[in-house]
Amino acid sequence: MILVVGLSHRTAPVQIRERLAAGAEALPAVLARLASREELAEAMFLSTCNRVEVIALAHGEAGIDEARRAICEELAAHGGATSGEELVPYLYEKRGDEAVRHIFRVAASLDSMVLGEPQILGQVKDAYEAAAGAGTLSGLLARCMSRAFAVAKRVRTETAIGAGSVSISSVAVDLARRIFGDLADRTVLLLGAGEMAEAAARSLVKGARALRICNRNFDRAAALASELHAAAVPWDDLGEELTSADVVVASTASSTYVVTRDLVKRAMKARKGRTLLLVDIGVPRNIDPAAHGIDNVYVFNVDDLEQEVARGMQARQAQVTAAEAIVAEELAQFLSWRRALEVAPTLVAMRTKTRALFLAELERSLGGRLRHLTEGDRLALTQMLDSAVNKLLHTPTTKLKARAAEGDDAGELAAAVRFLFDLQEAVTAEPSRTATPTRPPASASADDEPLIN
Amino acid sequence: MTLQLANWLFAGTAVAYLFASVIFVAELLGRAGSWAKWAPRLVAIGVPLHAAHIAVWSMVLHVCPVEGIHFALSVASMFACLVYVLARRRFQIDPVGAFVAPQALAFLLASRFVGQVADEPRLRGALLPFHVISNLLGIALFTLAFAAAVAYLLQERRLKLKTFSRVGLLPAVDSLDRAEHRFLVAGFPLLTIGILTGQIWAREVEAGGVGVMARAGLSYLSWALFGGVLLLRAAAGWRGRRAAFGTILGFGLTMVVLLAYLVRSA
Repeated sequence: MILVVGLSHRTAPVQIRERLAAGAEALPAVLARLASREELAEAMFLSTCNRVEVIALAHGEAGIDEARRAICEELAAHGGATSGEELVPYLYEKRGDEAVRHIFRVAASLDSMVLGEPQILGQVKDAYEAAAGAGTLSGLLARCMSRAFAVAKRVRTETAIGAGSVSISSVAVDLARRIFGDLADRTVLLLGAGEMAEAAARSLVKGARALRICNRNFDRAAALASELHAAAVPWDDLGEELTSADVVVASTASSTYVVTRDLVKRAMKARKGRTLLLVDIGVPRNIDPAAHGIDNVYVFNVDDLEQEVARGMQARQAQVTAAEAIVAEELAQFLSWRRALEVAPTLVAMRTKTRALFLAELERSLGGRLRHLTEGDRLALTQMLDSAVNKLLHTPTTKLKARAAEGDDAGELAAAVRFLFDLQEAVTAEPSRTATPTRPPASASADDEPLIN
Repeated sequence: MTLQLANWLFAGTAVAYLFASVIFVAELLGRAGSWAKWAPRLVAIGVPLHAAHIAVWSMVLHVCPVEGIHFALSVASMFACLVYVLARRRFQIDPVGAFVAPQALAFLLASRFVGQVADEPRLRGALLPFHVISNLLGIALFTLAFAAAVAYLLQERRLKLKTFSRVGLLPAVDSLDRAEHRFLVAGFPLLTIGILTGQIWAREVEAGGVGVMARAGLSYLSWALFGGVLLLRAAAGWRGRRAAFGTILGFGLTMVVLLAYLVRSA
């Protein structure tokens, strides 16, 4: 049975989350500790800035409580807690079907702090690859994760869950693109060194030609410039910088306008009317709003950007119903496949035994009354027997798989087949950790066919 | 057979431009969805059909395409669509097709159903091909400049009013402004050649008259407007709204001249 134990931004403050977080360097050690726990058949460790989870496969329903206890102990040891109980108030737990649903929702960014954020899928894939590489992931849990990637892709493709801008920085970038199109030959000027302006500038500079930083404190500007591969410019050169910059992001502590309408007018004359975008993230405002009335000048303040962020969030929220419907549909298919998996060993054993019996009889006949047959005739007889076995067992196989898919008493039927055919006890449907680990699909399109036909 | 072929080509071209126009408008309203990518493709399909229609129709009527206003309208709109297809990726101005395709459709229909081709005076003279072709190419480029200018004004207004929800439906204002300027720069020399050659041989074709003077005057005025827009942009930084209004006005005058030629032959 699949089990998820963890904490997220919904259940734990950042002080607790940061204790349990594990970067790429620490991950192998964490996975090794999880692998050493006999209670866990498979395990994966997901650590992001808003979430830490252990996704594991217990040894059936009987072993679920022990698996949970093991995970809590390991999380406590990893986070420096004295016992697992210390973390209990912050932890959530999902079992079986709910665990699978949770995994699908997390991968599809439906449980993220920012609904529809694209980073989570990459983080889940990284965690998957780390676990697969460490050999702690194979079989059922690996298939579940592969399916999660496909679900995430479907949600992003079939809904607009990731559309729109939902942060000040992304709205600023979006605006710049709406005004300039390609930013490749544009210059961004950052006024001040406020956090939000810096975040916006970091986003803008990714596609822009150059970033220049202008701050009253030149040392601060220089320090930030070296961090961002930008150029620091003296505050006194502001007027001149306005002539060459295309996008200006302002966030200073000034209580008056640092960019006045007259300053902008003079700059526009010097730059021969080339378009200028001014993004004012400061409170109080740093840029005179009257500059917005100048031809080819666009001024947007933090209220304008936050309105757009709210609109983007609303648009994403409207997609949740459709996204959850996709998750529900995929969950039903996965569970159907999972149930079919339970009867697979029985079907394999039935087919193996039947074929063995038929072939034994054929060998007896070929050694006796039919020994005069040629090699070609023997081959034809063998093929006929194989075909007969397939036809004989086709109906019971199909019906048993259909019964499993419907979620009815397939287990009882499988037990009846084992009794009637005197088959060995069915091997567990959940493969062991020693099986070869699988890799996530490149296009995240999972195969949900049962293991046998 | 040839007449039937001409009719089929005309119908095919009209259908392509019509569907392209509908999809472009739907895209501007944010309702085209996955159909949006088909609009520029339909214009691209319409161009060769249009060219073939012109060729076959001129054979049916035994008229050279550069000898009459009807064919001139059709050729001009075909050139406009061709330049749009070639330039749209370069300037990222796909939605500008919302202005180009309907105009192409209107010119196509007008060239076929307004007035009689047989009744219009034929143009003769060694300078004729230069005059007509340069004017047609110029009109094609000004059509695109006009389309870019209209789109610019719409987008600029949305940005000034901060109505973000509709901003994403048109290209970036800077792209539109740049495209408008490039089309004007390309079309202005052609218009100049057209006016000069027209002036040289006009007296051979028609002898004076108020109509002739009025058309010529409007042509000079549109030439001056376009030239003024280009000059003021270079010298005084007249970009954006001012350039767009100048372009629209100049194009409007050009259309009045064309209409005057068309109506004269109707």
